[in-house]
Amino acid sequence: MKRTPIYGMMAEFDSPSDLVAAARRTYEAGYQKIDAYSPFPIEELAEAIGFHSNAVPLVVLIGGLIGCLSGYALQYWISVITYPINVGGRPLHSWPAFIVVTFEMTILFAGLAAVLGMLALNGLPMPYHPVFNVPRFAFATKDRFFLMIFSTDPKFNPVDTRRFLEGLGPRSISEVPS
Amino acid sequence: MTAARLDNLDLMAPPIVKTIQRRSLIVGVIFAVLSAIGALLRPEEFFRGYLIGYMAWLGVTLGSMAILMLRHLTKGGWGMVIRRILGAAMRTVPLMALLFLPILFGLPKLYIWARPLNSIADPHVQEHLRELTRNYLSIHGFVIRAVFYFLIWGTLAFFLTKWSAEQDRPTVRDNTRRFKAVSAAGLILYAFTISFAAIDWVMSLDPSWISTIYGLLFLIGQVLSALCFAVVVERILFDYKPMSQLLKPDYVHDHGKLMLAFVMVWAYFEFSQWLIIWAGNLPEEITWYVRRLTGGWGSIGLTLAMFHFAVPFVLLLSRPFKRDVRRLALLATWLIVMRYLDLIWIIEPNFSKTFHLTWADVIVPLAIGGLWLAYFFRNLSAMPLVPAYDVSASEVLEPAHE
Repeated sequence: MKRTPIYGMMAEFDSPSDLVAAARRTYEAGYQKIDAYSPFPIEELAEAIGFHSNAVPLVVLIGGLIGCLSGYALQYWISVITYPINVGGRPLHSWPAFIVVTFEMTILFAGLAAVLGMLALNGLPMPYHPVFNVPRFAFATKDRFFLMIFSTDPKFNPVDTRRFLEGLGPRSISEVPS
Repeated sequence: MTAARLDNLDLMAPPIVKTIQRRSLIVGVIFAVLSAIGALLRPEEFFRGYLIGYMAWLGVTLGSMAILMLRHLTKGGWGMVIRRILGAAMRTVPLMALLFLPILFGLPKLYIWARPLNSIADPHVQEHLRELTRNYLSIHGFVIRAVFYFLIWGTLAFFLTKWSAEQDRPTVRDNTRRFKAVSAAGLILYAFTISFAAIDWVMSLDPSWISTIYGLLFLIGQVLSALCFAVVVERILFDYKPMSQLLKPDYVHDHGKLMLAFVMVWAYFEFSQWLIIWAGNLPEEITWYVRRLTGGWGSIGLTLAMFHFAVPFVLLLSRPFKRDVRRLALLATWLIVMRYLDLIWIIEPNFSKTFHLTWADVIVPLAIGGLWLAYFFRNLSAMPLVPAYDVSASEVLEPAHE
């Protein structure tokens, strides 16, 4: 394989608590562009790598509002503009009768926005990712825990970062080619 | 394991509970005296206020029992941490049975069907009532059914308390299975008894009107009241040991999620009833809403839609809001006030076409509430806040893992 610029530096740990401790120290040392990989969810990990909030709730809210408005507008357009029918003398614009469909459309669009927004914000589908260039990374789905410092981090420096990661007591350190 | 944790944490309720108990009793007695004076001067208004107050506090009692049974069936730390709060509220059933007696003295004042038939001027109404009172709405039937409801509620409360108290001591017997059995049957019994009670005690105020979802409206209202009450009490206890160490943000979050769910179910039931009756627009049904949406009562209905549903709904969507017991308790207090307003909106328009509140609508609920709270806080200080030897108590008693 052709030698390419570095994507980042990866350290391997034996246990979730080692990973969380290492992630905390890395974040405290001033690294910002970091990520962690584990075979199962670890509650404290997101906080340890400085990940506080995500945009999914906002996407869901916008999706819900679009569903709500379009659901109501659809019924209004049908019952008042294109196909007005007098039902039992009620006004054409009988909003109480529109509520149920409006509600269902809100939930439908919010739900779709949640799934699609989550995928989009995660950059999925992603056919290629540099971390898989490290053969040992296969253990991330079994029983090993990985911490990554991206080369885009302003503090990143191949020599210093490697030395810093060594100080965290990892099992191994790999340079990740991009 | 559990016992070791017990040594350094006293699980009894803090002394503040005794103080609140005393103050509640003082408030209750003062307002009870005022109510008694009112009962002599203006008995009609007294009984309306009494019914509103009675249904409001009965809601907390029975709703707590329902959530407690739900917890026994589903487990979870959220329920363990408020289990004894719910239990203490549930054990006010004897007080509520006692407080039901005054209603029996006011039957003809509250219910048109309890008056002598020949005193009713309208011949149509008289004919309709002749039919109804022969079959279902007789005074005898009313009393016998009420005794039956209280027997069921009292029996459930008795066994749920007895087995729970066993788990305060080291015991070889695991009560989980019997809790499950009695709770499964108990929830079904509760749904039926509260439906019939709501029909007997409130819907029959207007015997010409029926709604099949009526019982469920009261059921969800009671469960919501009870959950909000538990959140307020956990907030008060959170300032003191042991609750300050037991109550974790995850549990508060669960209580917030349940509040959101119950607020939504309440709105769903209310809206279903209204949409169907509005769409049908039949004279014998729509009158109920015509009364409640005109003559000033409409603004109360709008207030309920906005502040019993819309605003709490939006607030409860926020995750940080649901995890903060202080803010959640403020909303819970607000929702308890809204529950009271909802009962006013259901009961009072039966007696007045235009918006009309009496002194009794405020004073009598406060009197019942003061006595109820005094009894509740007495119950709360009688048992530890967590049954330490319950097999699932360790989840709550273990410190949060690092």
